Amino acid sequence: MKKVITLITLFVVIISSAQTQFEKGMEKAFGLWKEGKNEEASAMFERIAAADKNSYLPNYYVALINTTSVFIEKDRTKIDLLLTKAQDALDKEIIKDQNNAELHVLQALIYTGYVVADPMTNGMKYSAKVMECYAKAKAIDPNNPRAVFGEADYQLGGAKWTGVDTKPLCIQVDKAIELFATFKQETPFSPKWGLDRALEAQKNCKK
Amino acid sequence: MKTKLLLTIPFLFFTAFILAQNTISGKVLDQKGKPIAGANIYLDGTYDGATSSETGEFSFETTETENKFLVVSFLLFETFKTEIDVANYKDQTIKLRENINALDAVVITAGTLESGDKARVSVLKPLDIVTTAGSAGNIIAALQTLPGTQTVGEDGRLFVRGGEASETQTFVDGIRVAQPYGATTNNLPTRGRFSPFLFSGIAFSTGGYSAEYGEALSSVLLLNTQDEPDMDKTDISLMTVGLGVGNTQKWKKSSLSVNTAYINLAPYQAVIPQNVDWNSPYQSFSGETVYRYHFTNGIFKLYAAFDASKFDLNQENINFEDKIRTDLNNNNFYLNASYKGTFGTGWQLTSGISYGYSLNKVKYDINDVNNDENAAQLKLKLRKTVSDYFKLSFGADYFITKFNENFDDNASIQASNGYDSNIAAFYTEGDILFSKNLAAKVGFRLSNNSLLNETNIAPRASLAYKVSKSSQFSFAYGDFTQTPVVDYIKYSKYHQFESEKARHYILNYQFTKPGQTFRAEAYYKDYSNLVQYDTRDIQYNSVFNNNGSGYAKGLDLFWRDSNLHKNLEYWISYSYIDSERQYKNFPAMATPNFIANHSLSVVTKYFITEWKSQIGFTNSYSSGRPYNDPNQTQFMNGKTKSYNSLSFNWAYLLTTQKILYFSVSNIFGTQNVFGYDYARTPDSNGVYQRQVVVSTADRFFFLGFFWTISKNKNENQLKNL
Repeated sequence: MKKVITLITLFVVIISSAQTQFEKGMEKAFGLWKEGKNEEASAMFERIAAADKNSYLPNYYVALINTTSVFIEKDRTKIDLLLTKAQDALDKEIIKDQNNAELHVLQALIYTGYVVADPMTNGMKYSAKVMECYAKAKAIDPNNPRAVFGEADYQLGGAKWTGVDTKPLCIQVDKAIELFATFKQETPFSPKWGLDRALEAQKNCKK
Repeated sequence: MKTKLLLTIPFLFFTAFILAQNTISGKVLDQKGKPIAGANIYLDGTYDGATSSETGEFSFETTETENKFLVVSFLLFETFKTEIDVANYKDQTIKLRENINALDAVVITAGTLESGDKARVSVLKPLDIVTTAGSAGNIIAALQTLPGTQTVGEDGRLFVRGGEASETQTFVDGIRVAQPYGATTNNLPTRGRFSPFLFSGIAFSTGGYSAEYGEALSSVLLLNTQDEPDMDKTDISLMTVGLGVGNTQKWKKSSLSVNTAYINLAPYQAVIPQNVDWNSPYQSFSGETVYRYHFTNGIFKLYAAFDASKFDLNQENINFEDKIRTDLNNNNFYLNASYKGTFGTGWQLTSGISYGYSLNKVKYDINDVNNDENAAQLKLKLRKTVSDYFKLSFGADYFITKFNENFDDNASIQASNGYDSNIAAFYTEGDILFSKNLAAKVGFRLSNNSLLNETNIAPRASLAYKVSKSSQFSFAYGDFTQTPVVDYIKYSKYHQFESEKARHYILNYQFTKPGQTFRAEAYYKDYSNLVQYDTRDIQYNSVFNNNGSGYAKGLDLFWRDSNLHKNLEYWISYSYIDSERQYKNFPAMATPNFIANHSLSVVTKYFITEWKSQIGFTNSYSSGRPYNDPNQTQFMNGKTKSYNSLSFNWAYLLTTQKILYFSVSNIFGTQNVFGYDYARTPDSNGVYQRQVVVSTADRFFFLGFFWTISKNKNENQLKNL
């Protein structure tokens, strides 16, 4: 009997080690990202996305890494490539599920990338789209802190151009910070970013 | 039992951990043998993989055994996939092929100036149409700041590279607009009928265009309506010259936009001194609507526009002591339905139908001239993507035009003239990409015109070669034919006309960097078969022939830059042209009166953050234009003084959704001379007296308030200005 248990345990160990391959892969990719190896992290997430089509997360992170790279990239031709790559990855998931607030938030972020890269050309073109994406995200999940913060932050960013009243936006930032505190990740790999930037925005609001 | 178990345990461990030691390694190179860094190399369906290093090398270990697919992907290159034996794949070299569809592939640019979302190199951005000082929301006026165009202030239409305005055809969603301009009379400038903000892309070709387009000798203007509006909104405009209301509704798969406007120039005419007497000011009521429906694989669009305009004025005429009265009423309707979609593998279908109706009622002095035109086009186009390297398009279209004009001098003469024309055309064109650096487009257009009783075949070809990352050369050649203008062919029952012809040769150089574009284009145009007549005016008993000819050659330069100073954008266009024609009733080869040899436009836009304002200046200059002085023996020997106009605009954001807009054209009120009208007969001293042709007013002022009502507080009408 003991041997049988040993055998079963071994099976379980092996099977579960196969199951956590996804987790291992994700952890490795996050590790690379943390080290600042954006390209490698993106490549790792791409591999996971190609192998595991059940989760939206690998493609989500491919899109997120490439979009956020844009905010520090200076070469405009490269910016286009990064955003195209982000959009391609996101498209794969948006087609499968249009009721995921996180995907709409990320779409808004991609459009923001275009605006930041060339505000004079893209500002007018994408602003309405950015707002529309945040509106969609909030319609799906009114308590998603990234949607609430993103919407306020985008308008705060444009405030010096548009002259919009920043007070109600700052209230939204405060609200988003509260939401970050109560937000529950669906899985350990689900999106949880944004709090640090929200705190930054809150500081600016108080100035 | 025991032995079996003992065997099983190591076996299980073995599969899971021990077999995991196959190393896969190699090098990723491009076609030229240069290493590619950052490529993603992995075994398909597994997590095992690596990213190539600066030297293109990669190496990783895998738990897999046997045969697997190795995938190598990198954005700029085509994804490479091959089946490998995992145990024996070491130090292999993989060469990636460049992705032809990547952003930096060569595009044919000869002759074409593009604006909008899809254009690779935008010379005009969508916003420019409306924020260019002096354009006043008129698409045509904004295009006149581009090289290759002539400023013909008394006309307002597009004159391209030595061609008459009628040589340019306008297309909405690929389908022709028979009457693209508002109604006008003698020396009174017109403007485009289309409000700019329903369109998301504009391609303006100054020559050498695709075989898809026919019946245009000089140029085509392609306007594409938006596929999808931004959101639900209502726009309200209050202007010194009228008011406008617009509304957009968006649903899941469809959307509808409606715009209406009422324009009345009375207040403006009261404030600014006018060079003509207005009995009744220019007034127009217009409406436009676009309905869009998205199918899974395509989009259907319905565009309709209506406008009714009228004015009544007295103009001086050198031949008469009293001023001559013109009272004009115009009604225009345009409908355009199109479908664009994909099917099968690599097929794209575009089809559409358009119908245009124009009714003019003109009282000129005591004469009544009434005319109406019905014009329709049917179009079908198919495009097959055979591979990334070859695309084939072919299509057919059918133009129907019925025109009728009645003339009554309210005394003795009553006449009726008109024509029915049917043109059937077929075209085919191949797009070939030899490499990322070399592309060609070759095709022809075959057309049959029932009225002229003739069949024409027009070859077109263009080639582009990219010499470096930021610069390329293009060459275009084409034959173009066009039915003579209505002024002639309405007399078709008295004379059998032939199509007029032109041949274009264009050499283009383009340099682009983010925020910077430079274009230089040299061209030669050869005109033949132009209509000539032997009388002073075009009339039914003129003797016509098709023996006229002409040429136009020149150089166009364009420079656009947004890197010079933060928040500043500017562009400079310069055109040089040398053109002569013997056509109409010209006794000899001469430069027509709409051609100025040198034209220069400088457009600037500056955003001042602290003032929440965008201000812009446009300066347009052209050298003198020829005119014919009958007191001199040589034909077309006169030359006017040069033309210059400086315009200014200022958009101020009151709040995000409320904008105050001010513009003034020709700030200094320079009296620009467009030409001279000479008396038909000499006076008692044997001298032909003349009259100067000038603008109806030297300056134009505009003040407007624009308000957008929407859920999204960031949207405003800045783009509509």
